Amino acid sequence: MAGASLIPPGETLAGIGRAVTAVPIRHPLNRRWWIAFAGAMALLAVFAVALFWLLFEGVGVWGNNNAVVWALDIASYDWWIGAACGSLLVSATLLLLGAEWRGAINRVAETVALLCTCAAGLYPIIHLGRPWYFYWNLPYPNTFSLWPQFRSALVWDAVDIVSFLVVCVSLWYVGLLPDLAALRDRAFTEAMRQREARALTRGLAMMRARTYGLLASGWRGSAAHWQLWLQGYRTIALLGVMLVVCVQTGASVMFAGSVMPGWHDTILPVTFLVNAVFSGVGLTGAIVVLIRAVYGLDGLVTERHLGLIARLLLGLGCASLYCYATEFFSTALHGDPYERGVLARRVTGEHAAAFWTVLVCLLLPAQVFWSTRARRAPLAVAGVGILVAVGAYADHVMVLLVTLGQNFLPAAHEPFRETVWGIATFAGSVGLFLVLLLLFLRYLPAVSITETRRLALAAGARTGRETASDRPEPDPEAMEPGTPLWGISARFATEAELAAAAQAVASLTAARNGGDVHLDGHGPVPMPRVTRALGLEGRTIRPYALGGALLGGLGFYGMCVYASAYHYVFLIGGRPRFSWPSFVVPSFAFAMMSGVVAIHLALLVLNRLPRLNHPAFNIPGFLRASEDRFFLSVQAQGEGFEVERIERRLAGLPAGAGRPLEIRRIPR
Amino acid sequence: MAQLFTPGADAIYRLVLLTGVACLAGVPIVAAGIVRSDYVTGVGIAPQQPVPFSHKHHSGELGIDCRYCHTTVEKEATAGLPPTHTCMTCHSQVWSGSDMLKPVRDSYASGEPLQWRRLNKLPSYVYYNHSVHVTKGIGCSTCHGEVTAMQMTYRANAFEMGFCLDCHRNPEKYVRTPDQVWNMTWSPPPNQATLGPQLVAQNHIRGGQRLMECGICHR
Repeated sequence: MAGASLIPPGETLAGIGRAVTAVPIRHPLNRRWWIAFAGAMALLAVFAVALFWLLFEGVGVWGNNNAVVWALDIASYDWWIGAACGSLLVSATLLLLGAEWRGAINRVAETVALLCTCAAGLYPIIHLGRPWYFYWNLPYPNTFSLWPQFRSALVWDAVDIVSFLVVCVSLWYVGLLPDLAALRDRAFTEAMRQREARALTRGLAMMRARTYGLLASGWRGSAAHWQLWLQGYRTIALLGVMLVVCVQTGASVMFAGSVMPGWHDTILPVTFLVNAVFSGVGLTGAIVVLIRAVYGLDGLVTERHLGLIARLLLGLGCASLYCYATEFFSTALHGDPYERGVLARRVTGEHAAAFWTVLVCLLLPAQVFWSTRARRAPLAVAGVGILVAVGAYADHVMVLLVTLGQNFLPAAHEPFRETVWGIATFAGSVGLFLVLLLLFLRYLPAVSITETRRLALAAGARTGRETASDRPEPDPEAMEPGTPLWGISARFATEAELAAAAQAVASLTAARNGGDVHLDGHGPVPMPRVTRALGLEGRTIRPYALGGALLGGLGFYGMCVYASAYHYVFLIGGRPRFSWPSFVVPSFAFAMMSGVVAIHLALLVLNRLPRLNHPAFNIPGFLRASEDRFFLSVQAQGEGFEVERIERRLAGLPAGAGRPLEIRRIPR
Repeated sequence: MAQLFTPGADAIYRLVLLTGVACLAGVPIVAAGIVRSDYVTGVGIAPQQPVPFSHKHHSGELGIDCRYCHTTVEKEATAGLPPTHTCMTCHSQVWSGSDMLKPVRDSYASGEPLQWRRLNKLPSYVYYNHSVHVTKGIGCSTCHGEVTAMQMTYRANAFEMGFCLDCHRNPEKYVRTPDQVWNMTWSPPPNQATLGPQLVAQNHIRGGQRLMECGICHR
């Protein structure tokens, strides 16, 4: 991997921000986007028609019949949720492992995960005979005096998908938050430029800035915020990884809960997980290459990134091959006759095309990445990614149809045939995915600005020189005598200088007048040194996450026990009333969701957010706190606040070791 | 630099967020309340009938037995609605000129039955049988309330599934001795805790799991 670099030489923090935010703010390639959007909307219209016909006529329009009760609907669901799990797992694992190069692909991976979950989440609802009663799957206070059957894997799925959606949205949004603030500041700059130029679109530009501002919830890059954000982000990723394992193995147990042959190999939970991650990486890789090509982000998504995706695909391809081979051999060598029958029908039966698609699309193409040249070729990465996604779909079709298609009752003699409506529904869900993806590309940063900046700083990127435009003329009216003072701000070019200055002011004020000032740093990246200088490094969000998860998990488990063992006495399949292992899966999924909700609450409360209007925004040039400048704010909190003394101390620091570029007094 | 938002924006934003969270919890609670309200279930609401028939007068004050009119309650699935003939057994003699009873006489003369408005309805997929309940010791008032006190008849209970299951889970709390079945003011005797299980065993009522099976009511 040596040789190619992840960050091109000469890249600056501001340059990274501009390269990424230019796409949503100015949006190049408007026409191409509109053409793609029109195509995606046409597919979405197909979805609307297919759904209307489905609701009007019933699930029979998909060709589902009495033996093949699950067909393309569940194959599509499994495929979408598989891709979602894979993308989420990749992004979260890279975050947890501290892979510094993840910035280029994590945003796309998280977005793909979220959008796939949206598409997947519709299927369990629409495949119900009466979708408008979908909430009957959830435990809610009802007049039937009934509970969902927590001993059934089908109910686990309802809890899983809800939890997964919450975790997915959270990982995506929390990761996006600082980037939204960067976008807000760029959009605000643009809006003010348009206002001065009295441009016709100035109202629209201001509305756009306000929209980003609302979404960013008043993020101002405070050192305290960054510290908790980093913890929160990583903790959500950890909960997400555990949920992915829960969802995918739970899905395979759902199959194993039946008596149908071909669904009971003990390697199946692993196969499900591997194939899910495989398809997720494939889809993410293909979309990353597409975005890179269309928006010319070669500087941020480098050949080395593509090489890393290719290596991931190769590794997962080998793992998938191993899983298939194991299942094949164990069935062929010591499976029972029915299992062997399923195996034979997979290869030669009515739906054999699915098996051969799996072989050609899922198992073989990734092997091309043994070659270095293929790993560097964007086209190869995109092509293999798409093939893997296709192969994963064929795999779900094969697993479902071959087993269900062979019924053992003479009454079920009608074979399953894919219908045009089944295919139209899936195509429509692709349309939904594409519409949302295009909207994401149009309005949000496709590459993580924060992560790329951290990587750039680690690689020695410059924060940009001080220019004349950096020094706005002092506004004579800003600080008239008698205006109440909020505090002092000081501007720095690097985090190290900010940390040194924070240290100096902290020791000064601690010696003199203890609790009368409140210090904070603001910057475009997490600032561990400033956090240490401010004495904030001990703060942690993890107990809240753990407490939330435990509370949620135990609460859900208690509900399952109360419902199944005590209140809702009901005999299913001879299972004991207190079937404790089957309560674990939904409780675990719910615990992950509760942990994430607790993190959100802790982030909001501990960071005192949302604060859309904050005196810190009065600092001149503060828009660059989300770009390439670092600010120290010394907030007056009492009588003992000595402005001149602090200003003298700051100005007296040696250049390059804490002397600010500029010191300002900030009105309240 | 200028502020993008006014100071008031914070209050509005937080209010919206909190309202959203409150709705997440509040809307289901309100919806659950509405679904259970008498307005939706019709409990306690007496509709207009072709003749203002009073159960309180006939059954409560005059003491006519339930089975005088609802003749098949011990033998068939439905309790039976009396034909006009039954009314006329008395009203050909008593109050025979009353204006209030004109629709009854008209119905008798024309042979066209009276069109009563039905109060207690079950969905078509629920198989309910009066005879088995009555003969095994479940009294009228358990479901229909104290009909002998109703001037105009109204629905005493919303026949939601939870209502049925409550008894199917714990029949021993509701089962009566045969002489008490027709007692419209019955309340559990002090020894119901011992009497109930005895009657359950005696009448071969298999509570709990058996009565909870779907196929008991939904065939």
